[in-house]
Amino acid sequence: MLDSLLDFKKECDKQGILISFYGFISQELLVEVGHNLKSRMELERIDSTKITKIFAMFVEQTQNIVRYSAEKVSDVNGSLSNGIIIIGYKDEHYFVLCGNKIKKNSIEPLTKKLSILHSMDKNELKSYYKEQRKKGQLTTDGAGLGFIELARKSTKPIDFNFQAIDEQSSFFSLKTYI
Amino acid sequence: MDSWKTVATKYTPEIYFDANTNILGVKGESYPENITEFSSPLFSWLENYLESLGEKTFTINIELIYFNSSSSKMLLDLFDLLEEEVNDNDKNIVVNWIFDIENDAAQEYGEEFQEDLEILPFNLVEKAE
Repeated sequence: MLDSLLDFKKECDKQGILISFYGFISQELLVEVGHNLKSRMELERIDSTKITKIFAMFVEQTQNIVRYSAEKVSDVNGSLSNGIIIIGYKDEHYFVLCGNKIKKNSIEPLTKKLSILHSMDKNELKSYYKEQRKKGQLTTDGAGLGFIELARKSTKPIDFNFQAIDEQSSFFSLKTYI
Repeated sequence: MDSWKTVATKYTPEIYFDANTNILGVKGESYPENITEFSSPLFSWLENYLESLGEKTFTINIELIYFNSSSSKMLLDLFDLLEEEVNDNDKNIVVNWIFDIENDAAQEYGEEFQEDLEILPFNLVEKAE
């Protein structure tokens, strides 16, 4: 591992990775990484509208891991969820990539939710967002608007896939672009 | 009703109520993991307050730089509640959605709420320099 760390850095640089985190994620960690991301982009004098968008996608995708990762540890003070979150810049696009373990039976509903969004243009996404926001119920798990919010902000359709881990679980990856 | 204030945290906005002017202000960023935990006390207070409002005008100034999707749902629930009070109980309520001209997203979100409301006065207010 000691010897491969430089390769890891080189690979990160090659992929255009600005920030990557793997491990158990909490709301507190999200806040700190988010601030770091914002400061870095401000230093690079990136347009503030773009910074707000990238930050928004980072928050939605990280909170998705926090809520829905199948690998969680919790106690009375709260819970931590295992996952990967990466922000990078490649081929003239920023991207936000996240991944976490899910139970196999989540594949079908997730595919359905994300596929609907693929067929919609920006106006249709706006109407769908408003419709779902009106219909939905606010719960401790949010309002189910995260994916629609991401699809509206992403400059390319959301990419996602599932890779089998074992009989019961898969790894869910999702990538958005700015 | 007394004046009160809750301070902002890293991911929740400052909220204050001024009993002299009947202004409720919401200012900052909103992206808590669990929005209901944050908003429940506010909604409970609002229900009591609106019952005692009478003929007075209640003004809500919202100045949010960024909010996540579950906060957006919470805001819609808030505006729906206010719209009901205007519609069913003839309450005088005004919402001012305050945004920085540089913040396109905040302006767009304000416009989208405005499109969805029917009788609640909802003003888009560009922040003074």
